[in-house]
Amino acid sequence: MRYPKTFDVIVVGGGHAGTEAALAAARMGAQTLLLTHNIETLGAMSCNPSIGGIGKGHLVKEVDALGGVMAIAADEAGIQFRVLNSSKGPAVRATRVQADRVLYKAAIRKRIEQQANLYVFQQSVEDILLDGGDRACGVVSQSGIQFFGGAVVLTAGTFLDGRIHVGLSNFQGGRAGDPASIGLSARLKELKLSQGRLKTGTPPRIDGRTIDFSKCERQWGDGVDCVAGADTGDLSCPTNQNVPVFSFMGNAQMHPRQVPCWITHTNSATHEIIRSGFDRSPMFTGKIEGIGPRYCPSIEDKINRFAGKEEHQIFLEPEGLDTHEIYPNGISTSLPFDIQLALIHSIAGLENAHILRPGYAIEYDYFDPTALRPNFETKAIRHLFFAGQINGTTGYEEAAAQGLYAGVNAVSVTRGEDPWLLRRDQAYMGVLVDDLILRGVSEPYRMFTSRAEYRLQLREDNADMRLTEIGRKLGLVDDARWGAFNVKRDAVSRETERLKMTWVGPHNLESSESERVFGKKLEHEYSLAELLRRPEINYAQLMHLGGGVFAAQTNLHQLAQEQVEIAIKYEGYISKQNENILRAAAFESTVLPENIDYLAMKALSIEARQKLDKIRPQTVGQAARISGITPATISILMVYLKRGGYEKALTLEGLDGA
Amino acid sequence: MKESIAAIATAPGMGALGVVRVSGPALAELALRLTGKVLQPRYATLCRLRDDIGQVLDQAIVLFFPAPYSYTGEDVLELQAHGGTVSLQLLLAHVLELAKLIELPLRLARPGEFTERAFLNGKLDLIQAEAVADLIGASSQESVRSANRSLQGDFSKEIGLLTAQMVGLRTLLEANFDFPEEEIDSVYTQDLLSGVQTLQAQLATVLRKTQQGAILREGIRVVISGQPNVGKSTLLNALAGQDLAIVSDIAGTTRDRIEQTVQLFGFPLLLVDTAGLREQTERIDPIEKLGIGRSWKAIEQADLILFVRDASRFSDPKYLAEDDKIRTQFDANTPVLEVLNKVDLFDSSEIASGICGLMGSRIAPDRGVETTTAISISAKSQTGLDLLQSAIAEKVGWRSTNEGLYSARRRHVFALQSAVAYLTSAEEGMLSLNSAFDLVAEDLRLAHAELCTITGAFSSEDLLGKIFSEFCIGK
Repeated sequence: MRYPKTFDVIVVGGGHAGTEAALAAARMGAQTLLLTHNIETLGAMSCNPSIGGIGKGHLVKEVDALGGVMAIAADEAGIQFRVLNSSKGPAVRATRVQADRVLYKAAIRKRIEQQANLYVFQQSVEDILLDGGDRACGVVSQSGIQFFGGAVVLTAGTFLDGRIHVGLSNFQGGRAGDPASIGLSARLKELKLSQGRLKTGTPPRIDGRTIDFSKCERQWGDGVDCVAGADTGDLSCPTNQNVPVFSFMGNAQMHPRQVPCWITHTNSATHEIIRSGFDRSPMFTGKIEGIGPRYCPSIEDKINRFAGKEEHQIFLEPEGLDTHEIYPNGISTSLPFDIQLALIHSIAGLENAHILRPGYAIEYDYFDPTALRPNFETKAIRHLFFAGQINGTTGYEEAAAQGLYAGVNAVSVTRGEDPWLLRRDQAYMGVLVDDLILRGVSEPYRMFTSRAEYRLQLREDNADMRLTEIGRKLGLVDDARWGAFNVKRDAVSRETERLKMTWVGPHNLESSESERVFGKKLEHEYSLAELLRRPEINYAQLMHLGGGVFAAQTNLHQLAQEQVEIAIKYEGYISKQNENILRAAAFESTVLPENIDYLAMKALSIEARQKLDKIRPQTVGQAARISGITPATISILMVYLKRGGYEKALTLEGLDGA
Repeated sequence: MKESIAAIATAPGMGALGVVRVSGPALAELALRLTGKVLQPRYATLCRLRDDIGQVLDQAIVLFFPAPYSYTGEDVLELQAHGGTVSLQLLLAHVLELAKLIELPLRLARPGEFTERAFLNGKLDLIQAEAVADLIGASSQESVRSANRSLQGDFSKEIGLLTAQMVGLRTLLEANFDFPEEEIDSVYTQDLLSGVQTLQAQLATVLRKTQQGAILREGIRVVISGQPNVGKSTLLNALAGQDLAIVSDIAGTTRDRIEQTVQLFGFPLLLVDTAGLREQTERIDPIEKLGIGRSWKAIEQADLILFVRDASRFSDPKYLAEDDKIRTQFDANTPVLEVLNKVDLFDSSEIASGICGLMGSRIAPDRGVETTTAISISAKSQTGLDLLQSAIAEKVGWRSTNEGLYSARRRHVFALQSAVAYLTSAEEGMLSLNSAFDLVAEDLRLAHAELCTITGAFSSEDLLGKIFSEFCIGK
């Protein structure tokens, strides 16, 4: 049957990409349908129960600044919060949360149910409806219901032709316990979108009641001050004001009680057991063809590649407050179950551990993201968007960021508006999208701070400053967030202004004090901003100068203080980066003609010719970022453009987007 | 059909041999008409070249390279004739004339066009291609020549080694950022610091050699400047060893700049004599005015300014004030060497007490020995020239030991200078209290990017690959 209501946007899949896509579209006012094969698994964390981390935390804060739900759900579900790299500089600082699966799912579910314009329907999708052969206009569910809509966002995750491996046995599945999506995969294969196969894995889960924690090292989160209580065997701790907060709209009161993680290690006996299973490993026997991530190898891979290492660290992470299930992070494996059991029992603290679920590797289809336009619409089929793991990425955070991005663009395309694009210097989301569409993936793509050349200005602490206003214009940011943001932004600019206009010198600061604070006495007048730029000085010290005469009249919020301090300290570096951005802008706005014949450019290597022909970048800047395209290639390209009668194309027309 | 091109392929000037090269899609007929023979491909054939009325123009070795086995990938005809500008010009004109006769579209080649065709036809590899890209953008013959100089093997090898060290340092730092929970050696600060210091020292050494190489290759432009009648032209003649400029006692004799290349300790020095600088008053005629304008232009382009001063006029406050005024208008980044001329008019004690005292008081003590040194000479009696030559060499960074110099381009020098500066900043960052490592990483990234402008791109993906191969990552 044909479903009576016609939607603006149909989102297929209820994982982290699907929920953010559907929520974003609905926030913008689009009539949105979220189709999932199981409502109970909306917002499920199928891998390890944690949100954030380096690069990933940055993405979560960006999604949050654009009104997304991942950060606030993590605040409601987080049972351990940490700020990683806190001493290494603000640009690489990142938040990581250990989340209670049940609480997290509930937090997401609650927001989906409360969202206006959003309709949820439980049924798996078998087919995509096309209008005129190359435009998506709806989907067909398993039982034959036709849903029509202006755009379709596909977020099928690992469910496309998923195959689970434990030892040499394997079976179809989308995630342990859930069916794979075969019909859809076959249908997409017919559409001739270029595909590849990737692999990822999880460790066996353990019953915490069978772990001897006295043999493990305890690791509390940040801002928790209850070590004494924990020594008595109590594994929980009341939440504390100093525990970090993820969302701009979050606070520490939202957090449930905090619990520790535990650290143990593999040993030579463990490694021996693992080696004895190599001959039955689906990885080493060729059963798995998909490529796994290098940064998240299985334990057998680690033993194989780093044979000299005598032990490997394992984090025992609680899955929640109301469960004993423990996720042993660091020993993802697809070895046969008997080997899994033996290797677990060889580890200190786990001698008598009971395995609740075996570890497994999962192979799944992904679609080559170089087949996407910069707005995440497929080049082959208009109004069809791909987001999340289907694009070859890994991680909840990468999925959420793509979901939000595709959701917004799906709305734009149905409204006939210009695509919404983010640049590499604006957001990690911009880096993510640009990397995917230009470089493709050779392993599951994960965000790292080293991927961002403009890292110094893409910080967690200024995600709100960078993106809230953009989100507000798109209709993603509600009044409450917008109001709170304006209060902070005004406070920051007022205080920055004050620091630049307040002068300190020999006339108003005792030389003994300036010698003590600055190492030598001030020869002439400096503004507070100039003094703050010195590496040895922080904001608090400035406010204490001269008994506090230079302090702000009104008490500045902690986060605003931090923002003022970082912005001033990094000003020099960031303005240098801005010069680079400007210089690069000429490349970014040099449009490559649509009809350019790369294959005829004999001066280019064959590889470069093929890559350019396949990806067909829109600008010279994009071309330069394609892997294997060297500066020399770009020089040659420019010569061809000049000599090949393309002069007209080389004017600064600006991007026409899709 | 695509036009054929022709040009004299050897450097202008007198020489035993000169080559006229022709390239185009089909040159067999031209070759036949020119030589009267069917040439065997790629064999040297001695031919009598005749003009259109059958008169012998020259005897030449002729080589015919049919497409695609030639430098440009097209048919190429090379005429190796006797040298000499006029005879080669005649030969070229004849070839063009003959082509018109047989209705072959042939024209003079633009600078670098043979190479451009070679590369458009896929005859050059990517490293050469970059030089070619410069070349096509080059406007003057001079820049064409400099673009033609390709990267020398040893230099790129050494830069390659240093880049590898840089990658090592960045790998350590970035792995520590992106995988803070992994068991990557936590006491790496000391390693990192000493790594940065070592690399900086090595880069500075390479930079010195590269600078020398660039001097050797591209020469140094030395502009002789100063007020009228201080003896600039006399100095040019003295340094050049011949009378190039007219000298007289009349101020403003030199109206236009005169250039001459001389060898100094084996490196090329382009001496530029300029019109004397003076206030542009009504009394100056328009031609001299133009000359002064050109003088300032020359000063802007100088690698080194020889600021010539008349020691006999140091008692004149107006003269000194004018010198000071000129001096302040020099670009602060261009090195200046002060030359006190006409010391033959004094005895040595006068020089010692008067002039040196004056100089010493004017120069700030913290500007180093180099700037405080003024060289006293007499261009007329040719005294002090040795000292001046040594001072020039020293000032431009030339050292007499030329072993292991790199034949590099200026832009390589700039890239290395920037890289060293970024490493210095990284070192300072690490040594300072409360150092933020993200800023140190930024300095290293920028330094690395500078090296990459010499060696080629290095992406963040490459960096991650390095991290994964060196550290056991995988929580």
